[in-house]
Amino acid sequence: MMAEAETQKDDMLLEVKDLTVRFPVKRGGIFGGKSYLYAVDDISFEVKRGETLAIVGESGSGKTTAALAVARLVEAYSGTVRLGDEDFLALKDDDLRRARAKVQIIFQDPYASLNPRLRAEDIVSEPIESLNPLGKSERQTVIDGLFKDVGLRPEQQRLFPHQFSGGQRQRIGIARALATQPELIICDEPVSALDVAVQAQILNLLRKLQKERDLTFLFISHDLGVVQHMCDSIAVMYMGKIVEHADRKSLFNDPKHPYTQALLSAVPSVDAKRRRNTKRILIPGDPPDPINPPQGCRFANRCPIAEAKCNESQPPLREIKGGHKVACHLA
Amino acid sequence: MTVPLLKVENLRIELATRDGVAPVIDDLSLELGVGETLSFVGESGCGKSMTALAIMGLLPEKVGRIASGHIWFNGEDLTKADDARLRQIRGNEISMIFQEPMTSLNPVYTIGEQISEVLRRHKGLSQRQAHAKAIELLDAVRIPNPQARVDDYPHQMSGGQRQRVMIAIALACEPKILIADEPTTALDVTVQAQIFDLLRDLGQQTGTATILITHDMGAVAEMAERMIVMYAGRKAEEGPVDQVIDSPRHPYTKGLISCVPHLLDTLTDERPELTEIGGIVPSLRDFGKNECLFASRCTIADEKCRANRPPEAEFDNQQRSACWHAGQV
Ligand SMILES: Nc1ncnc2c1ncn2[C@@H]1O[C@H](COP(=O)(O)OP(=O)(O)O)[C@@H](O)[C@H]1O
Ligand SMILES: Nc1ncnc2c1ncn2[C@@H]1O[C@H](COP(=O)(O)OP(=O)(O)O)[C@@H](O)[C@H]1O
Ligand code: SF4
Ligand SMILES: [Mg+2]
Ligand SMILES: [Mg+2]
Repeated sequence: MMAEAETQKDDMLLEVKDLTVRFPVKRGGIFGGKSYLYAVDDISFEVKRGETLAIVGESGSGKTTAALAVARLVEAYSGTVRLGDEDFLALKDDDLRRARAKVQIIFQDPYASLNPRLRAEDIVSEPIESLNPLGKSERQTVIDGLFKDVGLRPEQQRLFPHQFSGGQRQRIGIARALATQPELIICDEPVSALDVAVQAQILNLLRKLQKERDLTFLFISHDLGVVQHMCDSIAVMYMGKIVEHADRKSLFNDPKHPYTQALLSAVPSVDAKRRRNTKRILIPGDPPDPINPPQGCRFANRCPIAEAKCNESQPPLREIKGGHKVACHLA
Repeated sequence: MTVPLLKVENLRIELATRDGVAPVIDDLSLELGVGETLSFVGESGCGKSMTALAIMGLLPEKVGRIASGHIWFNGEDLTKADDARLRQIRGNEISMIFQEPMTSLNPVYTIGEQISEVLRRHKGLSQRQAHAKAIELLDAVRIPNPQARVDDYPHQMSGGQRQRVMIAIALACEPKILIADEPTTALDVTVQAQIFDLLRDLGQQTGTATILITHDMGAVAEMAERMIVMYAGRKAEEGPVDQVIDSPRHPYTKGLISCVPHLLDTLTDERPELTEIGGIVPSLRDFGKNECLFASRCTIADEKCRANRPPEAEFDNQQRSACWHAGQV
């Protein structure tokens, strides 16, 4: 028993605990003091080494902010991020520089995230060079290898970002992310800007690289079909909170949170059987003002099964069966 | 069969580009019946929006022109209609909604004023009547508390609400055809479900025919009766939605369906690699070539495909496919 618990612990690459990120917002009026928008509000999740955790949720639910906080690209207000053996948010100076190399990000818009004035080879090698400068031939070997791995031709190394298609630019972004030999790659909507045919190429590439290099992915997407294909486990966010967290099959086949149920039911499907068997749950209205969240469950005003107690207190995220966690009073 | 509401015949639209004139729409024919929902799918750059703009008489000025073919609407050839007539038809008989409602709404007028304006211009209603009708329309597109929201400015509404306002404006004059060009691409999936629900209900109530442009096969399956798959300015395949999705007759359609990871009824551990369609859509300057424009990406292409544009093969079940090997797909 002991031994099993320990190996499980070792298997975790990323453990996020009680993470909160808040942004100051200006309020109008004479009493317009400082208030805060809690974009990520006390969330916890973990990802096993070599696996993919997907984060889904509607726009503004805090997915990107959570990911950026994990990578220390926005400041966490509280909470911890354990990466392997290290308390990542507490690291400083050299330790931090070394650890940073282990976490890389791939963004949605490959065009906006690539420096237009740099050649593809320089974009890809920049992260390693800034870590420790390489000799000329060593550098070339690394670049050749990365270009080959992401499916770009050697003669494309000298081109500039605008000379590539959207899918090729995303390949450059992936090569750059791989350059420092990271353990964790955060993919923030990596295929949302791409056409479906190119999307398939990139998704296949990501899965291939994951297997070859034992990569761990934090995979953010609003496309549940894509998420289903990519993830091992999944966290559903709503207004800065994780409302459900489970492994892939439990979540898709047996969603417990009313929001997750509505979300899944809303996805149009080519599968006639799924269309027949899915009762669409429409959730009316909009999420409440994030600067002024309700004291009870944040989903209560749109929830089809809400009761009085839902407006009174926030439901905690609790395990209801083998690793399946839900934050709902009625689940 | 009765005369279709809309009949596009051998339409060719040319764009003037830096590299010369290119047929952005090349010999396109289609029909749309009263109250029917037809969907256009295909990757970006395949000419879906251009087809819609041509029907609306809104081709990019100086750049785009109808080179040949006809657009019959209720027996009238819109390719011969003058600007005044086209303006009359737009909004009154054929309306369109776009992907980004914010760019089509005027930020300095309330939504009530913008809906009323359409009603006064096209329907000749008085200010009072138009205002009352605007509230009715907001209610019809399920904006809660329409009496109060009618005085809101666009920025005071969410993306989903703005798209409903656009639908309200588009439907204000009870058009015969509503063209929706990627109306939910910028919206969350729960909001998309509300918009689709709304479009379906309104279509049933008013008998408006809908052309839904999308890149999402799921949306096609959910919303449309018939579909047209566009590739590089040409119709690759056409047919009843269920049949096309179940057994596509064009390699491109087949690729479009199988390259996407779909949500299935029951999820299993199995996760096969996604089918890839290698390469990308050819550039506009190659659109006119006498060959199958899909050949460079097609796994069953042969010499014939590269030497001649394939004609449309027609099957018993009303499926048509512009592929030399349609029978083998
Ligand atoms: N730099 C910032 N300053 C202020 N508010 C922000 C900032 N970044 C994000 N937010 C707000 O935080 C919330 C979550 O945003 P985000 O993490 O981008 O959500 P998602 O990625 O799920 O769409 C939103 O309400 C957003 O407006
Ligand atoms: N105003 C314009 N001027 C020049 N080319 C255009 C214009 N609008 C669209 N195009 C070109 O026409 C082709 C078809 O575009 P479009 O109809 O918008 O495709 P889709 O809607 O299928 O994505 C594309 O190659 C596009 O770049
Ligand atoms: S005509 Fe030839 S190249 Fe074109 S889709 Fe058919 S088989 Fe493929
Ligand atoms: Mg985001
Ligand atoms: Mg378009």
